[in-house]
Amino acid sequence: MTPAQAELSGRLLPILGPNGVITDPVRLRTYECDGLTYHRATPAIVVLPETAEQVAAVVRVCDETGTPFVARGSGTGLSGGALPRADGVLIVTSRMRRIIEIDVDNRRAVVEPGVTNLAISEAARPYGYYYAPDPSSQQVCSIGGNIAENSGGAHCLKYGFTVNHVLALELVTPDGEIVQLDAMDPGYDLLGAFIGSEGTLGIATKITVRLSRAPEVVTTLLAAFRDVESGGRAVSAIIGAGIVPAAIEMMDALAIEAAEAAVRCEYPAGAGAVLIVELDGPEAEVAHQFARVEALCRETGAFELRIADDPAERAAIWKGRKSAFAAVGRISPAYLVQDGVVPRTALPKVLAGIEELSARYGIRVANVFHAGDGNLHPLVLFDDAEEGAGERAERVSGEILDLCIAHGGSITGEHGVGVDKSRYMPKMFTPEDLDTMQLVRCAFDPKNLSNPGKIFPTPRLCGEAPGVRKGVHPLVASGEAELF
Amino acid sequence: MNPELINDCVHCGFCLPACPTYTLWGEEMDSPRGRIHLMKQYVEGTALTPEMAGHFDACLGCMACVSACPSGVQYDRLIESARAEVERVHRRPVADRAFRALVFGLFPYPRRLRALRLPLRLGERLTPRLRPLLERLDPRLAAMAELAPPVTRRVRLPRRVAARGERRATVGVLTGCVQGEFFPGVNAATVRVLAMEGCEVVIPPGQGCCGALSVHSGRAEEAAGFARRTIETFERAGVDTVIVNAAGCGSSTKEYAELLAADPAWAARARALRFADLAEFLAELGPVAERHPLPVTVAYHDACHLAHAQGIRAQPRALLATIPGLRLREVPDAAMCCGSAGTYNLFQPLAARDLGDRKAEQVLSVGADLLVSANPGCTMQIAAAARRRGERIRVAHTAEVLDASLRGLPPTTLGRAREHTSGPTSAERAQ
Amino acid sequence: MALPPAKALAAIGVTIREALPEDAVAGVAPRWVALPGSTSEVAAVMRAAAEHGLTVVPAGGGTKLGWGPPPRRCDLLLRTRRLDRILEHAAGDLVARVEAGVRTEALAAALAGAGQELALDIPFEGATIGGTLAAATAGPRRLRYGTARDLLIGITVVLADGTIARSGGKVVKNVAGYDLGKLFTGSQGTLGVITEATFRLHPLPSSRAWIGLTAPGLDGLPDLAALAASQAEPSAVEIDWPGVDAPLSIAALFEGVAAGERAKAAVASLGLGKTAGEPVGGTGGESAAGVGAACRLPADAGDSRGGAPSIAFEPPAWWGRLPGEEFLLEMRVPPGAAVQALAQVARSAREAGDVPVRVRGSVVSAVLHVALPGDTHAQQAERFVSGLRSGLAAHGGRLVVWTAPPDAASRLDRWGPVGAATLMRRVKERFDPEERLSPGRLPGIPPSSGRQSGGGPPSAGRPSAGETPSEGRPAGGGPPSGGGERV
Ligand SMILES: Cc1cc2nc3c(=O)[nH]c(=O)nc-3n(C[C@H](O)[C@H](O)[C@H](O)COP(=O)(O)OP(=O)(O)OC[C@H]3O[C@@H](n4cnc5c(N)ncnc54)[C@H](O)[C@@H]3O)c2cc1C
Ligand code: SF4
Ligand code: SF4
Repeated sequence: MTPAQAELSGRLLPILGPNGVITDPVRLRTYECDGLTYHRATPAIVVLPETAEQVAAVVRVCDETGTPFVARGSGTGLSGGALPRADGVLIVTSRMRRIIEIDVDNRRAVVEPGVTNLAISEAARPYGYYYAPDPSSQQVCSIGGNIAENSGGAHCLKYGFTVNHVLALELVTPDGEIVQLDAMDPGYDLLGAFIGSEGTLGIATKITVRLSRAPEVVTTLLAAFRDVESGGRAVSAIIGAGIVPAAIEMMDALAIEAAEAAVRCEYPAGAGAVLIVELDGPEAEVAHQFARVEALCRETGAFELRIADDPAERAAIWKGRKSAFAAVGRISPAYLVQDGVVPRTALPKVLAGIEELSARYGIRVANVFHAGDGNLHPLVLFDDAEEGAGERAERVSGEILDLCIAHGGSITGEHGVGVDKSRYMPKMFTPEDLDTMQLVRCAFDPKNLSNPGKIFPTPRLCGEAPGVRKGVHPLVASGEAELF
Repeated sequence: MNPELINDCVHCGFCLPACPTYTLWGEEMDSPRGRIHLMKQYVEGTALTPEMAGHFDACLGCMACVSACPSGVQYDRLIESARAEVERVHRRPVADRAFRALVFGLFPYPRRLRALRLPLRLGERLTPRLRPLLERLDPRLAAMAELAPPVTRRVRLPRRVAARGERRATVGVLTGCVQGEFFPGVNAATVRVLAMEGCEVVIPPGQGCCGALSVHSGRAEEAAGFARRTIETFERAGVDTVIVNAAGCGSSTKEYAELLAADPAWAARARALRFADLAEFLAELGPVAERHPLPVTVAYHDACHLAHAQGIRAQPRALLATIPGLRLREVPDAAMCCGSAGTYNLFQPLAARDLGDRKAEQVLSVGADLLVSANPGCTMQIAAAARRRGERIRVAHTAEVLDASLRGLPPTTLGRAREHTSGPTSAERAQ
Repeated sequence: MALPPAKALAAIGVTIREALPEDAVAGVAPRWVALPGSTSEVAAVMRAAAEHGLTVVPAGGGTKLGWGPPPRRCDLLLRTRRLDRILEHAAGDLVARVEAGVRTEALAAALAGAGQELALDIPFEGATIGGTLAAATAGPRRLRYGTARDLLIGITVVLADGTIARSGGKVVKNVAGYDLGKLFTGSQGTLGVITEATFRLHPLPSSRAWIGLTAPGLDGLPDLAALAASQAEPSAVEIDWPGVDAPLSIAALFEGVAAGERAKAAVASLGLGKTAGEPVGGTGGESAAGVGAACRLPADAGDSRGGAPSIAFEPPAWWGRLPGEEFLLEMRVPPGAAVQALAQVARSAREAGDVPVRVRGSVVSAVLHVALPGDTHAQQAERFVSGLRSGLAAHGGRLVVWTAPPDAASRLDRWGPVGAATLMRRVKERFDPEERLSPGRLPGIPPSSGRQSGGGPPSAGRPSAGETPSEGRPAGGGPPSGGGERV
């Protein structure tokens, strides 16, 4: 143990007990990365708190000693958001997993941050409710991580993202205060600003989410097309007809091949693209819209349609889509998962652009995407044993983001910026935009201790005054004047 | 440890919630992903520390992570080689070594187990008083005493049983070591059911351990020896299908070819024999014997080595569903290990007890009369946990339930032999 | 350099005029009015204001300019009405990018052309998009679509020093960087000037139908939570309660395909009685099987609740309108406590000496507006507000005073306790360290009695302890909070 580690653990042990502090180097290393294994750093110390008070006490120690800290939920993030700091404390919420309350009267659930996304829905199911945002990782990702990343899922086209379903938060601020943020409070929407801040504004220790009523009926359709273009046309036609499906997902031929290899999903043979359209809601509405969707798919060239209305059939259709990420491991030794967004109408152009990139670099790209909201997840395949393939894959992956930006899109739709994409932020935002975001950061975390080095390419110290902006007025600072 | 198998893991974490030890402790290094990461550290040159070994030891080998993994990571093979590596290079503390030697010197050997029957019969009466003492001495000994099944009379099985009615198949039956000694009724039921379903059944004498305990504990050499012996035994008996009724034995016998891969001749001999789980085999064969009503509510427990290691979940349920009057209840969180896990409850008694407590709570929550599983170790473990809560649960093997239905016995005959608090009843003595 | 402010403002080429009496902000008269026509002109105005130490209050249509406490000072009123272009309507993407001064009616008309809408029901005529965001107004359909913050996907703002900053973008799904849009929604002009906003749109529903009901009093209220949770999926459930002794009107909106049938089915399945209104023609009949599960009505309910439910294709006259503007409060409670909140209104009204109140709003999203007459006696108002606030607090609710007649305003705590007041103040300090923008109007934090500057009415408020969060330690970082008893 280094002296710094020893000093820190000396202060943390009384808070958490020996069972809650990890300093053994071999153990520490198992925390070196999250779902993005590309970036690694072994934390100086890992703590496993069980209460908000313990989190606050740990954060206060960090504040007093100027130690950076990083929160971690289940470590499934795909942008390196939970990448530890070698000189810092990793605060893991995996022991904070109590469901405090399922409050049916108020249609909400109160949970600790380590509770998994799916566990909330399971706890609510007996009452006919569920928690709407459904990232593909829902069986494992923590609600705290969802808050930090503002996670979405296949069904967020209709139902929105995490931020649209969180009613209140208890938060430990980077100076160790426990603060309540509530959507009912007047004033700035700090709740909204905190969600999606990737752990840089503090640590969520209790979360109140809205529960949604299970829809009356759910119908799922699988449409097979000869190529991605006709699939894309079907998507535009459906949206153009004023229908907002619960989900519209698309997979291209390569992604279908992978899913077939992994889970034998048995999608129609010869499909160059499949579209999964799910409609839910009141029966009368779904039935009507479904007929429209079916007709539109045929008009745009679907050669086979499968329809599922019971859970088992639905699961069979979704099986291929849900396995897609992990499944490409079966057709390629290594791959990168990209996450970019374009306006839906730009999808055909962007997909063509990706194909071109793929040809130019000799790197295969499988496409799986949330077609309804233009969120692409290109899977860039390469063989890590092959000289230079990794770099080429990186290039392709990066240039896909450039394409997204060029078409007015975003560098991330749900996986977050983390460490992985901070270098792209200046391509999407001006220095002024980033400085302004930094103001929020400085209001919450003036010492820059909470997950430093994430999101922003070159974090400014909070004392630095960019441009004409000045710091806190000296009279205010000295207490001679009041601001409000 | 094969680095390629390690690299199959993409670190997605999907296996975390399925893992019993992660569920208990919430620590990365006691999760499948964390253990694979430790293996990676090891193959990359980090020394095998006692901490590292401890996290491998704490793995139940329940293979829930294999079922949960979308990337097809072969954790079963990884942990086996990790355990072998631990055995090879790691020096355990003296007390640990002594205890392990005791277990491995005892369990795989039917004759030694038989010798143990007398002290156990004594122990039965003593256990309640002995417990605190043992607990203080070593919780593992206490666990052993607590789990020790009641002593039943040995049942001698004939070498060959003819098929009832038209002969539809000829099969061998693996009697197993622990199973054969402590639960002879299960083997007898297995043989009867097979015969009534039209199988000629061959039960070669002198069978030993199939090697499951050894292979699951990193003793590959020892396991290979048991495997060769088992293969030889059934070759000599002249069968090509061997029915296995204990989940743990089933999964290891199915892997003989891999275990013996270093010796192609033996691997080929292994491949020539088909080992099949009883439920798996009967489901394929299809029912012919008449089922008599068995009015009983059953909670079916998925033994890890059946559900996760062999993917057999539907068949036992389907078999039970063929019995008129039997009501099947699903246990919540069914995929979670009960903590028995072969010798796990002996080596890691505290974790095993926590898991047993959780499982017992779930099982009791469904309000069944009878707990059924294909692994006696599981049912013993859950019954022991129920007793700690001051409740009783009757337990039976799938084969025994089927047997009762085929023979038209009342449900009250099931599960009584497993009650532990008093000695065997006179009815059982007369069995 | 040392030009007098008026000349300096004129020199930047932005339309500036002297303020007129009608430009007053909650009684505070500005000296000039700036009418910039673009984001960069707004930036120029803000830079000039910074240079000359002028305070600025941004304003849109002015419909809610009087909401909240009056500014302590207002040198320059910045009107966004010339920022009135719809910059982009990407119908295929269901996205629109507009300037802040666009009137909501104008936007609605433009979008309707493509069969789309911004699904906010804005209860004002003449409201601008910027003002709507800054005041975070939303109407009945918040139940289905959420509020402005849920529909906003990108924003451009000008900060107090003239910095132009953007966040979000024009795609619905986007998690790059902090979401400044959320921060500015509800910021009441205190953080910066909103100049552009991008929204996600929805297709205009193919049909709409309203269930109308009346209940003689709170006791006879049907189970509205069950109605809201019904799988017939209403888009809104609203009440109008003209007085605590009056009957309540209830209306529920159904949108989309077969709206009428779904409305009818909901009535039937919830046991709300036989529909008396015009029968809904069409195909499906009683199609909403399964809705019954949500019904928690006693079997004999129906007679005691007054008139039979009717189904209409037009909303009732009160739908989506505020119950009053002169003296307006907003209650927010967890949805399960909506009926208790209404009961609390009645109780507090009685205890305050039978003040006449009118309540209207969304009973299942539990955002309800309470209007009092403009001539309510200040003491009565004070008693009513503090009684209601503490009653609501018992159910986890909040009470905000949006508008109040001057003598009552001076006695009232506008916001009540806010858990994150300290953090809000820290945000304000970072964005506007010189307190140039709408000073004293910071939501969630009561104006302190400290610095009264010229022009302001004497009403800027008594000190209040409203900001002290029950959990946290006393406010760090910010200036001392004034202290004093709660009003
Ligand atoms: C196979 C796979 C599929 C995925 N599919 C999706 C998908 O469909 N949609 C989607 O949106 N994402 C998806 N993800 C990404 C990931 O699961 C989400 O980002 C998830 O929200 C991360 O949760 P976590 O608990 O693993 O967080 P971690 O990875 O542990 O942490 C993520 C971030 O959250 C911060 N954090 C964690 N807990 C807290 C807390 N309590 N307070 C404050 N900050 C905290 C961390 O510091 C870090 O910045 C997928 C990931 C994988 C591996
Ligand atoms: S085998 Fe069981 S205990 Fe071991 S890592 Fe896998 S799930 Fe966990
Ligand atoms: S689920 Fe599979 S790939 Fe994912 S972390 Fe676990 S073992 Fe690795």
